[in-house]
Amino acid sequence: MSDDLNIVGKRVVRSDTLAKVTGQARYTADLKFPNMLTAKVLRSPFPHARILGIDLSRALKVPGVKAAISGFDAYGVKWGVFRYTQDHAMLPTDKVRYVGEDVAAVAAVDEETALEALSLIKVDYEPLPAVFDPEEAMQEGAPQIHEAYQNNINIHVHIDVGDVDRAMAEAFLVREDTFKAAGEAYAMMEPYAVVASYANGFLELWMPNAGPHVRAKALSNLLKMPLNRVRVRHIYSGGAFGGRSEVSPGDLVASLLSIKAGRPVKLVLSREENATSTRQIHDMIATVKTGMSRDGTIVAKDYRVIYDGGAYSSTGPIATSIPFYVYEECYRFPNVRYNGYRVLTNKGIRGMYGCHGRAFLAGNESQMDLMAKELGLDPVDVRLKNGLSSGEMTATKSLITSCGLAQTIARASESTHFKEKWPKAKRGKGIGMGCIAIMCGFPMGFRSGSACYVKMNDDGQATIVTGVVDNGQGNESVVIQVASEVLGIPMEDINLINADTEATNLDPGAYSQAATFVGANAVRVACENARRKITAIAAEKLGVPAEDLDLKDRMVFSMTTPDKKMPVRWIVREAFFRGDPIAATGSYFPKIDIEREWVSRPWGQMAGTFSFGTSVAEVRIDSHTGRITVPRFTAAHDCGRPINPMAVEGQMEGSIQQAGIAAIMEGNLWDHGFLLNPDLLEYKVPLACDMPEIDTIIISSMDPEGPFGAKEGGLTIRMNAYSAIACAVTNATDALFTELPLTPDRVLTILERKKGVKK
Amino acid sequence: MKAVKVNFRINDEPVALEVKPYETLLETLRERLDLIGGKEACGLGSCGACTVIVDGIPLRSCLVLTPEVDGASITTIEGLARNGRLHPLQESFMEKGAVQCGFCTSGMILTAKALLDRNPRPARKEVVKTISSNICRCTGYKKIVDAVLDASLKNKAYHINN
Repeated sequence: MSDDLNIVGKRVVRSDTLAKVTGQARYTADLKFPNMLTAKVLRSPFPHARILGIDLSRALKVPGVKAAISGFDAYGVKWGVFRYTQDHAMLPTDKVRYVGEDVAAVAAVDEETALEALSLIKVDYEPLPAVFDPEEAMQEGAPQIHEAYQNNINIHVHIDVGDVDRAMAEAFLVREDTFKAAGEAYAMMEPYAVVASYANGFLELWMPNAGPHVRAKALSNLLKMPLNRVRVRHIYSGGAFGGRSEVSPGDLVASLLSIKAGRPVKLVLSREENATSTRQIHDMIATVKTGMSRDGTIVAKDYRVIYDGGAYSSTGPIATSIPFYVYEECYRFPNVRYNGYRVLTNKGIRGMYGCHGRAFLAGNESQMDLMAKELGLDPVDVRLKNGLSSGEMTATKSLITSCGLAQTIARASESTHFKEKWPKAKRGKGIGMGCIAIMCGFPMGFRSGSACYVKMNDDGQATIVTGVVDNGQGNESVVIQVASEVLGIPMEDINLINADTEATNLDPGAYSQAATFVGANAVRVACENARRKITAIAAEKLGVPAEDLDLKDRMVFSMTTPDKKMPVRWIVREAFFRGDPIAATGSYFPKIDIEREWVSRPWGQMAGTFSFGTSVAEVRIDSHTGRITVPRFTAAHDCGRPINPMAVEGQMEGSIQQAGIAAIMEGNLWDHGFLLNPDLLEYKVPLACDMPEIDTIIISSMDPEGPFGAKEGGLTIRMNAYSAIACAVTNATDALFTELPLTPDRVLTILERKKGVKK
Repeated sequence: MKAVKVNFRINDEPVALEVKPYETLLETLRERLDLIGGKEACGLGSCGACTVIVDGIPLRSCLVLTPEVDGASITTIEGLARNGRLHPLQESFMEKGAVQCGFCTSGMILTAKALLDRNPRPARKEVVKTISSNICRCTGYKKIVDAVLDASLKNKAYHINN
């Protein structure tokens, strides 16, 4: 890595942290406005029922109630990310499809009044037969949840490359296994909240979101309001992990209430509502058939994966595809068939997750290890043999431009002595490795790119305006660092206006790992354009060619004769005199195949680049209790150049917690349509005492397109940490898991089944 | 229901209030006193995001009724910086990268402060055990533990501040 940079690549203190350590950072629930009302939502008690009528009249008579609404007050528009998935009214008028679905709401002067009014709303339901298991839902005669989706099959993604049947028939070793996993809870620390304020024909909104522009567009559709009248404002966000990417029913509820009442409305969900009534994660059943040659080369893969989609489409086509793609972006599959089915059930709505796809990915990787063992091969060698490298194409025709996969495998295995430990595994002790690749940005139409505006202020400081949003991962600090590097002024000289749809330009949002690779790239281009204007004036003033000039420490100076220099602010002022202030725009649009479509055309360039990663977990299993502990976890991530290595490590460490340790403890439990563990007492997330000793390794592959060579910061670990855990358990038990999480009862079942075989 | 009169000190300032008998300390702090640094993340005492220090003990303010703390001395995150200087824990949390989304941060810092106040040089194990009362969903806790230990090493500064 070249070391000629001043700010980028340094372990800097993130720009957002002062507000957070002093308690001054404002999150949505912290907002207070004059005349603000409190909203409460009435939710469906039935998993599936026809709505015969909703009577709000008694609620409206309660003193202090200023508005009450149901779906009959909305505009009859259904939301869907794609034209063919527009099925979600957010407030239904025909029938409810899950327990906890938003049915009606009130806004009142205080919470007590709102709750009293809620109890007076009368809804007549006609309960309908419901279905909760996706395999049952696909059967003929199962209750139909939406008319549009026959057999409740919401999405079918079909990919077929090469000749799978022939390759499978010719393979030396073939294995087929089925793996299940419960969906997890995002369990972001901030429960969902919305503040909506409608005045003078404009609707202002604050909510934790991973893409203000995408959110504003969805609400403008749902409310039939022109897009410029829906203004999603910047606000701190208490975690997202994929769960705040899409418009949420609460957004529509708060907006309608504010429009009716003509006053600001605040809706804050409880932890339980956050679980039952915002998005959850797909449960999965993945059948993985693999053909290998004698030397460990994967010759064929045949997949059938069922995703429990809950009641509505959400990001359905994307969710049905991503686990497959992140795997085919990692390994070479000459022959591969993928049938992904997203099936609707009468359970809560589901969305994308940073750790999405664990049954499929952990299943593939553990099966690979058992096959390697049968062939007398080492898992490290098998991964290196099958792993993609720079210049190769994936099975669905994405070119890999920069690839540090082999280095992540090598460094993670060396630092853990993997090759020595793996063959010596005993009952109760194991080591496992998981690998993955991740697309940095993917086709989202004209929203795939980002644009930035920068202006230099009269003291030589800068203001950058960008749609990039921060959900806690540090995106704001990243764009400030990039601007600081290009403009040669310290981070504290940079003002940031971001994630406010009135002021900022279009941006894909903190979605699909685009914030650094796309958003910060646009900031880089805009700042470079401003920098050229600075050096043009400086060249004239200093009598040197512009190419000889560099910017550092608020100065412009000649690189050949460094005493020829002047402060940036002088040039900024000179530009004001000339009536041509220093300001610039810049944009970045990734080199992707924009014709690519998730269902109808699943091939072409998926993303501008891909990041790669390898996780190694070391586990111990108590054979009496079945309890797994993880003494050590090592993660190596190719992030291109790390903009802030400390922040990249933080992402990797968080991923080990949220994907790795989660693989032994996290999963939603359902009793028919009822979520049994919606709160943080019943749904256990890893605590400090559950965490292993962590070793993070950053591999820099210097991406040719990324800003200063950067890709994305840590998501690969989020999508391979569970694989490492599952592989380590396979190593210790010589058997495959059948279901995640690997709770003690399931581990004991594996051990007993294994014992049975030995007898 | 009849309001209850309470008197206590918050961040070294005397406060006299009339509150609802069933009002939680978290509600009083956030809604009446605009001290919004403590967050309601679970409302069940399971996460620690609403932690404040009451007479030296870290308490989950969502589980405490305000009338119960009549006469107590309470520290919130807003009371940690003194004369424009951050508390060593606040500095260390920033410098060590222990903050991501920030929603758990004030509870984490106050939980750690209560530990350092009674044991200025805890072992790593003790820090891990102590902060296991609080949930962080972003960081994997490693940098939080590092930050608490780092603050404990700024011994002198720590004692000046207290």
